[in-house]
Amino acid sequence: MSAPALISIREVTKRYPGVVALDSVELDILDGECHSIVGENGAGKSTLMKILSGVITDYEGDLELRGERIRFSGTRAAEAAGISIIHQELNLVEELSAAANIFLGREKVRGLGLLDDASMERAAGELLKSLECDVDPRERAGALRVGDQQLIEIAKALSLKTEILIMDEPTSALTESEVARLYRVIERLREQNVTILYISHKMDEIFRLSDRITVLRDGQLVETLDREATDPRQVTHLMVGREIEATSFDEPRKPDGEILRVEKLSLPWPGHAKEWRLRDISFSLQSGEILGIAGLMGAGRTELMECLFGASEIPYRGEVVLDGESVCFRHPAEAKSAGVALVTEDRKRLGLFSQMSVGNNITMCTLDELVSMPLRQIDRRKETAAAEESISQLAIKTAGPEAQVTSLSGGNQQKTIIARWLRTKPKVLLLDDPTRGVDVGAKAELYRLMDSLCRDGLGILLTSSELPELLTVCDRIIVFCEGRLTGEFTREEATEEKLMEAATQLE
Amino acid sequence: MALNSGGGIQGTQVPSGLSRLYSRYATECGLLIAIFAVVVIAILIDPTNAYLAKPWYNATEILRHASILGIFAMGAGIVIISGGIDLSSGSVIAFSGVICCSIILGLCQAAGLVDDTGNPVPANLPGWILVVAISGTLGVAFIVGSFHAWLITVVRLPPFIATLASLVGLRSLGRVLIQDVNRVFTSNANTQIYIRDATYKSLGNEWYIPVIICAVVALVLFTLMRSTVTGRHLYAIGGNEDAARLSGISIEKKKWLAYCIGTMTAALAGILYSSYVGGAMPDRDGLGYELNAIAAAVVGGCSLAGGLGTISGIVLGAIFLRVVIDAVAKTVKDNPDEFQGMIVGLLVVLAVTFNELRSQKGDRKKFFSGALGVVNIVSLTVLMGLVAMLVTSDGDSSTDDSRDKLFAGCLVAVITFAVLVARKIFESRPAVEKSPVPISAAANAQDVSSGEDPFVDPGKQEIEGDAPEGGDADEGRDS
Repeated sequence: MSAPALISIREVTKRYPGVVALDSVELDILDGECHSIVGENGAGKSTLMKILSGVITDYEGDLELRGERIRFSGTRAAEAAGISIIHQELNLVEELSAAANIFLGREKVRGLGLLDDASMERAAGELLKSLECDVDPRERAGALRVGDQQLIEIAKALSLKTEILIMDEPTSALTESEVARLYRVIERLREQNVTILYISHKMDEIFRLSDRITVLRDGQLVETLDREATDPRQVTHLMVGREIEATSFDEPRKPDGEILRVEKLSLPWPGHAKEWRLRDISFSLQSGEILGIAGLMGAGRTELMECLFGASEIPYRGEVVLDGESVCFRHPAEAKSAGVALVTEDRKRLGLFSQMSVGNNITMCTLDELVSMPLRQIDRRKETAAAEESISQLAIKTAGPEAQVTSLSGGNQQKTIIARWLRTKPKVLLLDDPTRGVDVGAKAELYRLMDSLCRDGLGILLTSSELPELLTVCDRIIVFCEGRLTGEFTREEATEEKLMEAATQLE
Repeated sequence: MALNSGGGIQGTQVPSGLSRLYSRYATECGLLIAIFAVVVIAILIDPTNAYLAKPWYNATEILRHASILGIFAMGAGIVIISGGIDLSSGSVIAFSGVICCSIILGLCQAAGLVDDTGNPVPANLPGWILVVAISGTLGVAFIVGSFHAWLITVVRLPPFIATLASLVGLRSLGRVLIQDVNRVFTSNANTQIYIRDATYKSLGNEWYIPVIICAVVALVLFTLMRSTVTGRHLYAIGGNEDAARLSGISIEKKKWLAYCIGTMTAALAGILYSSYVGGAMPDRDGLGYELNAIAAAVVGGCSLAGGLGTISGIVLGAIFLRVVIDAVAKTVKDNPDEFQGMIVGLLVVLAVTFNELRSQKGDRKKFFSGALGVVNIVSLTVLMGLVAMLVTSDGDSSTDDSRDKLFAGCLVAVITFAVLVARKIFESRPAVEKSPVPISAAANAQDVSSGEDPFVDPGKQEIEGDAPEGGDADEGRDS
């Protein structure tokens, strides 16, 4: 590998408010290689690729393309320079035909500015054929299978004379035969000397495809390895190998009887290549216990919580036993009154009422207890008292119940939502990635809060995208991989390596 | 209300009672001041002294119209607060007039109130007929509202489409229905029904009856929205429907209520309107009123995104709209309807722009960059000149008059152009740099516009400006 560097990434840093997503990353991509970028969730893979493809334009540091300093003003500029990206979430206009998508923004025209559909369709057909994709270019993109849609994006990239193709977890939604076809397409692209940047966390793919592997962790480049000189175990180790923050809880908690049992829960996934979003999940949760769920993006953690909370659009199969009774919630209201609470994953989109005050956010689920006769109007004094009680109980930092909830920091907003649900006096608390977007100090506070709630007899089911977090607060950890339960560990047994192995395990 | 992130001591930053009251009711305070200002200006510049000559008559007229508008604007506003939109109110007004008058006609026939030829005579009606007619009309409105709610929550049509269907469909249905009703109960197939009954006509013609009804409806809905669990849930649904569902709120029931309030308030206004005009004329009644209602709600502080707005704001918004329409009518011409659309359009744009600017600190915002900005400098100039020309008062001699109008139009156009060009120059200047005053404003403006790439539109710049936040969210999803 003595080829010259095609792209050099020099000291690239990207900051978001409160987070450093990339921390002075230095990396050379060689001409014609297939280079894998691996890392845990939030390691900065996607941010780096977005910078390379011109999606993110404000960053510190420099990019060099063939030795020349460049800075893209947008994705168009990057495409013109020969860099295209296939996003994990495909970027197609579903209502337009495959051909129209391939030539979107660069439509061929005849005289008078009319679209030259015939020639676009012909060109699209040839491109797709060269990719082993036998769809009609006139077919509506939205009607195609995900694998074919992905090939349309690749065809688009090829029609742009792409020299560098970035693929962000391209196999996450593909069937096995589609994956095999994608491998062949990648081989063909490499014969055409297209440089490929491949993002994934599936070890078998990485080791099958790549020449070199770069590991990112917490926004920093850990190491770049030659494939021949390494093995999956080492890469996994490098992905997770960070020191665990020392937040220890001295006394062990005492789990006290089963509060929730899930038996053979399956959630169908209609119209998708993998028929099941969740398959045969069984576990049990005791009161006074924190059970962690580990898994990568798309493993089914959030879907499980939605099933347990009656918020899943599609009915699940299997049995859920809450406090000795078999239950099947069809609406969150039923789950709420039965004593299940869900603190959702995406605080801004699914949790907060950002136009309301802190107090109104806290009392939202328990307004029925705060009314006075005869009109059942909300008793403002009771409401304020309830909100103030929760604020001091959870030590929410706010000017008072009247303050706008958006004036709070992320951690305190999260506490506000937890306070809302604690007021419903739940038996089981489902926390879906509660520390996302929360700074380190507030995280420790949330851990202490979970611990104390647990000691008060609550059963907590916790998901997190950060393994050290699960290892810190959980009594037991179960691991999901693509909708299946692939491992169960007690806190003593669990290590990040074991969890990561179970989470990337393929059948 | 802003809180610095480290503020741990509770209570220190809670604003005092008065300023808290102001910050909660800022829209209402602004509207009150605006209403007062419009009235004072209208009195000062009114050439015919119409307000001072007949103050009581004018006040009651404004109140009557504002009340009828206010009643269904509250319904439209509640739908907007809950995150939807109700386009049907104008047609529901027309339709409920038809229903109300048809029931009266039918019951006249049944009660034997007929003339020699057997045609019903809707005069000197017994009270029960009116009660049945009004309740029947409200019942029909309830059915229409329920139908909207079903289309939206069960069939899952967008609210815009579901109520658009009623907007066009109900008026047409009313027009067909009224002919059949006339054919059945009378000997002809008129497209109108006239009600001569004094009690019925007094409902809309005595000025205080609409005012009292509006006040009662306002009190009920104010309590509903401000002090009940249901009201709080409606705000929650409008603010964040997903979060509301995940908080165990039954969205379907709450939306059902909101859309029924929307149609039933419109029906109430329709009854008053039909009584005011003395019958039902479905081809003309309430034409375009749905947009007035939405405008009143928006001027009154509702956000079309949902979750924001108050009943008091909506009522004041309706009064404000009516006061402005009336003031323009009095000072310019005596037919308010011609100016209504223009005024409503202008006020909505101004009110919403004002709110946007207040929330985004818009003085640094570039309004006139690129080709779109240049085109809009021209269009605003022409528009302002045209408006100035049209509203210049009619003089005595017709030749002088048209010259005056032309002069006023040109003057306003030139002033507008100068102001907008100055703004554009101000915008295209870097904030820190203080360069000398340009010698020729027009030449400079041309320089600026040709210097910029006209194809870089402001929208694109905005999107790129937003990238950090979007990127953050994406990164979050990835993790």
